Amino acid sequence: MNAVVGTSRPRTDIEARVRGVTRYPQDLNMPGQLYGAVVWSAYPHAIVRRIDTSEASALPGVERVITYKDVPVNRYGINTPDQPVLVAEGDRVRWVGDRIAIVVARDLHTARRARDLVRVDYEPLPVVSDTREAMRPGAPLIHADKPGNILYHIPIRKGNLQEGLAQADVIVEGEISTPFVEHAYMQPEAGIGYIDEEGRVTVIAAAQWPHDDLHQIARMLNLPEDQVREVVPAVGGAFGGREDMYIQHLLALCAYVLRRPVKMVFEREESITHTGKRHPFRFRYTVGARRDGTLTAARLELVADAGAYASSTVPVLSNAATFAAGPYRIPHAAVDAYAVFTNNAVTMAMRGFGATQPPVMYETYMDRLAEALHMDPVEIRMKNLLGDGDIALTGNAMWGGVGAKETLRQAALAAGWREESGHWFKPDVGQPSAPYKKRGIGVACAYKNVGYSLGFDDKSGADVTLTLGADGSIARAVVKCGAVDVGQGIVTALTQIAADVLGIDPWRVELVPVDTSRVPDAGSSSASRHVYMSGNAVYQACQAALAKRDEVLRAETGETEVSASYVYHGRSRRPTTPFDPETGQCNPHISYSYGTEIALVEVDTETGETEILKMWAAHDAGKAINPAMYFGQVAGGIHMGVGFGQTEEYLQIDGRPRTRRFSEYQIPTVLDMPKELVSVIVEVQDPTGPFGAKGLGETPTLSTAPAILNAIHDATGVWLPRIPATSEEVWRALQGQGARPS
Amino acid sequence: MQTLSMHVNGSPITLEVEPDASLADVLREQLGLTGTKIACGEGECGACTVLLDGVAVTSCITPAMKAAGRHVQTIEGLGDQREMDVIQQSFADAFASQCGYCTPGFIMATKALLAENPHPTREEIMQGVSGNLCRCTGYYQIVDAIALAAKRLSKEERG
Repeated sequence: MNAVVGTSRPRTDIEARVRGVTRYPQDLNMPGQLYGAVVWSAYPHAIVRRIDTSEASALPGVERVITYKDVPVNRYGINTPDQPVLVAEGDRVRWVGDRIAIVVARDLHTARRARDLVRVDYEPLPVVSDTREAMRPGAPLIHADKPGNILYHIPIRKGNLQEGLAQADVIVEGEISTPFVEHAYMQPEAGIGYIDEEGRVTVIAAAQWPHDDLHQIARMLNLPEDQVREVVPAVGGAFGGREDMYIQHLLALCAYVLRRPVKMVFEREESITHTGKRHPFRFRYTVGARRDGTLTAARLELVADAGAYASSTVPVLSNAATFAAGPYRIPHAAVDAYAVFTNNAVTMAMRGFGATQPPVMYETYMDRLAEALHMDPVEIRMKNLLGDGDIALTGNAMWGGVGAKETLRQAALAAGWREESGHWFKPDVGQPSAPYKKRGIGVACAYKNVGYSLGFDDKSGADVTLTLGADGSIARAVVKCGAVDVGQGIVTALTQIAADVLGIDPWRVELVPVDTSRVPDAGSSSASRHVYMSGNAVYQACQAALAKRDEVLRAETGETEVSASYVYHGRSRRPTTPFDPETGQCNPHISYSYGTEIALVEVDTETGETEILKMWAAHDAGKAINPAMYFGQVAGGIHMGVGFGQTEEYLQIDGRPRTRRFSEYQIPTVLDMPKELVSVIVEVQDPTGPFGAKGLGETPTLSTAPAILNAIHDATGVWLPRIPATSEEVWRALQGQGARPS
Repeated sequence: MQTLSMHVNGSPITLEVEPDASLADVLREQLGLTGTKIACGEGECGACTVLLDGVAVTSCITPAMKAAGRHVQTIEGLGDQREMDVIQQSFADAFASQCGYCTPGFIMATKALLAENPHPTREEIMQGVSGNLCRCTGYYQIVDAIALAAKRLSKEERG
């Protein structure tokens, strides 16, 4: 039996996908099903005075209009349950994604028609749509218990900032900001709520963490958890956007109230304008270095727009704070990170989870430092990058195989950098294709945690059952694990891990489809964690099953089936700790993955249009379980990074959506991607990971935007104060006009 | 309601449809052919691509009545019980699908592209599917899959 881990096995479910027979939630129907449509808030901030459902209820075909009166416990939200399921009369709407009612009708058309007939009297309140405004004294409060609209503030203090700045020969400082970003998974929100054959309130929906949805739904309906169930069919992308409930609770409520199957499907416009987004950040940065490039101090201020409710904002901000200064050794630092409520879209998890925005700041300022010091951008990074045991911003010694330098070295060498006696020399970027075009090359490094952080008990469970032949050989292995394949391919990766541990062909391994009534909680498909966390759980469960098999053989019991379960706790080998409330010092993360990307661009100086000619990427996943799927994560991550850096921005005016459709929200097409992508696999193993694996899902998105910005600067000499670096934004900078107001 | 007669994946079909129904809705809701996906509903992303008399159309904005008397091919019409179509097989072999929601649309767009241009360059492939959006793959493995399919099909042609 050859090793299975480390080989490019096809996805286990690929034939169904290419044949078009894979079923996503909108593809499923049940006999006698009704259709639900949500009545969304018409205001970003208002008091709901009265909800009149009489006209909607009277429309032929309407079965029921569900309001707050039907919700047993009208609160939900991952991490912080601060969102009303349906807003009550006398209560407030805080953004346009708040829900007033659900109209349930015999067909979808009628449900959508009837929702326009629900009459709601609003008393509009002043709208807060900017974090600077929100923090001003006297600003209207979005939540009465949050003075200054500040949801959360994290201070980190390391060393002595003033001393560190005094040691610096060069100091650069400035501001930069990042936009609201839409997940834009291709499969819009959809699902069915029904009562199953055992009387359980059951939801079929695309989810990232079905067992957390289960807890939330049980709380909302005031039911024991064994009377609730969530089934996850194929998921058409997630990227963090399905980590909190967006339709699951509404479907559960419909089934609970009507005791009949109710299907809901959001249109793209509903998906874009009424679901969560990536946090926009404003950064203020001061960073100093000695003449030789050694960093001495950094002062950072981060302000994130939390939108109207907390959702995952606290952990996202926490992550951003720990990664604020990049993967570098900085002896003296002060960080203040704030999350601020506004009446904008709720912001939540999105690929990178707070580690995606800071590189836009710290990597462009690293290039400013290099320029001020007349140093090569690779060389200054190489001097300062973290290594094993180095002390991070939060005072912890880095653990788990720190691959940061190796990713930079590999990417730089691939892109043509030369290293000579400790110095690095940039390659010649070649001649531009026209006299009015300029070429430049830019590098950016970044890192990101694997698993849940800051003392959280991250865990994943797996059950394994082996069917044995007479000689004890394994005929079949059935693995139960609640890890959702959102497209990243975790089912295939876990199959490969199980096959390797058991020493059998992968086709003998079967992963049971995710259904909370059948598989153990594995945590969320997020934090780049499943290969590490669920991989460890499957690894250990398989080993335990093998031990039982051996016992059965020794005792000659004649048993043909053995089972074993394992719950892997991250803290069993990597205990993390929460922030110290005053200094922010802690040991924040279980494990890390690292990456470097280099962009070669050509800028049209007449139009600002920036073409990415080539990109080099080196990412440290510890171990690439499946190299072809590793490439898929890198390329897909870069796609999201190109959008973040150049094209994507979700726009709102005074809390009202201006971006409503794919024609207005531009995710990169095949023509917008780097013309060529060179991916170098870096494997600096984490001894606590399965086969040394860490995680990869998010890191590839982190470096793309700053690499592009640095390349644009290298080509043209301009720095942009914000992303996305659209053609217009680059053109304005080239004209010396500065950015448009933001 | 209006009466619509068309061929779907080679079989003649007559059914009653709403006059304003889209082809995608009729395929999905009335014929159960859910391999055709709806992602944007405005003809912007290509997930709903089907072939109408061999030409790729975005079925979410194509009125169903436009298919009257014509041949519609969907993802379910490719390959047979035993084997996948060459394009489907190539998408599988080249790891061109992650979440898979855009995959049927890409495969149908490829079918039309290769029918028109059996030996496309990489640039022509990219132009040919630039109307299809994917949020997972970054497109490289999709372009690889299409190049692989073109190569395999031209081999088949030469026998």
